[in-house]
Amino acid sequence: MQPDQPDRRVAVTGVGAVCGLGWGIPPLWAGLRAGQPGIGPFQRFDHSQHRTHLAAEVEAPPATLARVCPGWRRLSIADRFALFAALEAVETAGLATPFDQDDREEAGIGVYFGSSTGGMYESELFFAEFLRDPRRARLSALIPQQVNAPGDAVARHLGVTGPVATYSSACASGALALGAALAAVRSGEVEVAIAGGSDSLCQLTYAGFNSLRSVDEVPCRPFRAERAGMSFGEGAAVLVLEPLERALARGAEPLAVLAGAGASCDAHHMTAPDPSGAGAAAALEAALADAGLAAGTIDFVNVHGTGTPLNDAAEWQALRRVFGERAGGMPLVATKALIGHLLGCSGAIEAVATVLCLRHGELHPVRWDGAADPELPVALVLDDPLPLAGARAAVSTSLAFGGSNAALVFSRWMGPAA
Amino acid sequence: MDGPGGLREPVFVTGLGTLGAWGSGCDGLAAALAAGAPLAVEVDRAAGYHLPGGARRACLLPAGALAGWLSPAESRRMSPPSKLAVAASRMGLRCAGIDTADPADAAGEAGTAVVIATAFGPSTNTETLLKQILFENPEAASPSLFMESVANAPAAQIAIALKARGASLTICQREAGPLIALGTGAAEIAAGRAGRVLAGSVDEMTPLLHALLDRFGALARAEAGGEELARPFDRRRNGFLAGEGGTIAVLESAAGLAARGGRALARILAWGSAFDPTATPSGWGGGHRALARGLRRTLERAGVEPAGVDLVVSGAAGSIDGDRLEAEVLRAVWAGVPLPPVAAPKAVTGEYGGGHLAAAVLAAAGHPMGPTPGCEEPDPGLGLSPLDGSPLPPPSVVLATSLAAGGAAAWVVLGRA
Repeated sequence: MQPDQPDRRVAVTGVGAVCGLGWGIPPLWAGLRAGQPGIGPFQRFDHSQHRTHLAAEVEAPPATLARVCPGWRRLSIADRFALFAALEAVETAGLATPFDQDDREEAGIGVYFGSSTGGMYESELFFAEFLRDPRRARLSALIPQQVNAPGDAVARHLGVTGPVATYSSACASGALALGAALAAVRSGEVEVAIAGGSDSLCQLTYAGFNSLRSVDEVPCRPFRAERAGMSFGEGAAVLVLEPLERALARGAEPLAVLAGAGASCDAHHMTAPDPSGAGAAAALEAALADAGLAAGTIDFVNVHGTGTPLNDAAEWQALRRVFGERAGGMPLVATKALIGHLLGCSGAIEAVATVLCLRHGELHPVRWDGAADPELPVALVLDDPLPLAGARAAVSTSLAFGGSNAALVFSRWMGPAA
Repeated sequence: MDGPGGLREPVFVTGLGTLGAWGSGCDGLAAALAAGAPLAVEVDRAAGYHLPGGARRACLLPAGALAGWLSPAESRRMSPPSKLAVAASRMGLRCAGIDTADPADAAGEAGTAVVIATAFGPSTNTETLLKQILFENPEAASPSLFMESVANAPAAQIAIALKARGASLTICQREAGPLIALGTGAAEIAAGRAGRVLAGSVDEMTPLLHALLDRFGALARAEAGGEELARPFDRRRNGFLAGEGGTIAVLESAAGLAARGGRALARILAWGSAFDPTATPSGWGGGHRALARGLRRTLERAGVEPAGVDLVVSGAAGSIDGDRLEAEVLRAVWAGVPLPPVAAPKAVTGEYGGGHLAAAVLAAAGHPMGPTPGCEEPDPGLGLSPLDGSPLPPPSVVLATSLAAGGAAAWVVLGRA
């Protein structure tokens, strides 16, 4: 059993991602810096009868992946995303895979994942066939259907024998998984946490959110006057977390520090956020308290920013509650405007984007022609990357269906002397 | 420790709400467990999803079990799992002596968190929604069905009904989920992130889900004119009985309990989890050594030697490989020491819906566990025999175990309050 070290700092030593901007961190950061949405027409399924026709779809994977990953063809799309992101993150962290015996037996490695729908896309194919003719449906298509399948696939491939848990709290899933991973590393439950999320496009969520009229017919426009809803995305993101001391001892270069996590629930409505922003603010304040940081030390926020009229308005109220007069001038990063809403993975990939912004000392922009919303006087980063080399800490927020809120606080790694 | 596993502060189960094939409430479940009689009934096979000769029975919620726990206005907008979750939460709070009509009291001063496990989420709504989308028109999709199709709908509805504004967590880790939820909830209390936690498990068993589980070969089947029984640890076991229900445990700290003058049913001493990477996505593997390490670590955190465990409330449910792995893990941890008595309540309650979780709490609270139905011929290869109905002294330490298909495993150590 590891000693209780609740105050130990937790480093992010590896990141991996796949999304509509490409497979891997390099295309993600290049796309984010360019500020051009990866949202457009997509091919995953026939959407001619759906209300909207856009998504940030992931392109076909590199052919080499099928050779690297045994059983690749049997994995769901969400499993493949998860596995790619995990392998990239672990490689970035400089950890050899599969984990060696010492790591498995002594150090303790855990997987903490978020997903909304797991292998739902494959399940829909099965379901359509099964209801037409149960004799023809291939039962194997259902195997990766479970929401926990992406996280399990990562654990299985990496040889993890520590804790494995999947969180499915809609759009907060990935951030909640990271919060659980942070607690596990701090407490000594695990020495390395592989934490993130994965979700793929599927008809259930596409039609479902359209039925709520919460999908924009053009690429989403968070906090703009004419915003009319979200855009869908898909992909996975994974962060490797470990105690800062351990990372430094093995010569790893921390990318950032995950300083705190907080969660709350609006307890207000299944789909509409509490317009007062009180619930979201509670998550933000809990994360700041967990990090031991005052609101005044936060340099930018990677907002949930779905682009739905109600959500953005509630988030603005939450920012005002937490940051007061600073809220209007606080630089805001709206990652969903470029990669769409990755649902159960959104909190994880926006955490990666936040880490990249801190690491590179600049905030990624978005490009729009539309007018700002006078009711939401936010300082979105627009058009060009915003240099912010002195940024020391940032928050990433996730505000979900069912009122589940989560916030993560990251701080820049400034060296062991800092 | 303030995080998963070890619990720096004492955490107590102060209330328990449960609904399932045993009806509504702890008394019905306690009576069923003491009697050791399976609660399975015939499943509706009219839709034609089932195979001829396949499984026919499951442990289903009887009609009327929800009566009095939900208003009609609430009920009409909820999926079946959400109804179960809200009803079990109210039942649990009432058991704890907390007034559910007063949201401030129900929420507690430090806020109430909700941690719910579900293996399959709201299956009825998902099935109906998919039929609308795939066979009618995507624009026919019902928004009310969609909002209640997400896995976290039950947790959200609990929060809305009871004004629970702490963290809202939904955990999907198949059969290991309920114990992970209980442990996660205990960690929230111990770390001071919540003053009270409603932790538990909820699942419904639809005809489609039942038929698909059977097509995977997961369910018990009647053979050679015999009964369709789960038969955990029996040499004739061939699958589990599917179940449905909802179980919510109310968790509080010692200080919280003392402040309001309540009583506890059990104390959570520690919890832990692990993974067997040799497992297939839908089955159990051969990694008992890794899982045994996880279980040993859990017992160490609880400060309990294997010989100090008085009763194992096993998650074994009658599957050939799952029960084999469970026996291997237990034998590895109790090597050289006699195994404590092993109860296998899923033979009574069915798999899914929280019956096992509720049984573990009831056992720790001193309720007797009866014989294990279907286990008249213990498998000699497993090296253990589940309870046969012989009377046992009330246990001081109870270990609840659950090894999930797919590789996850979880354990909770409960002590007498």
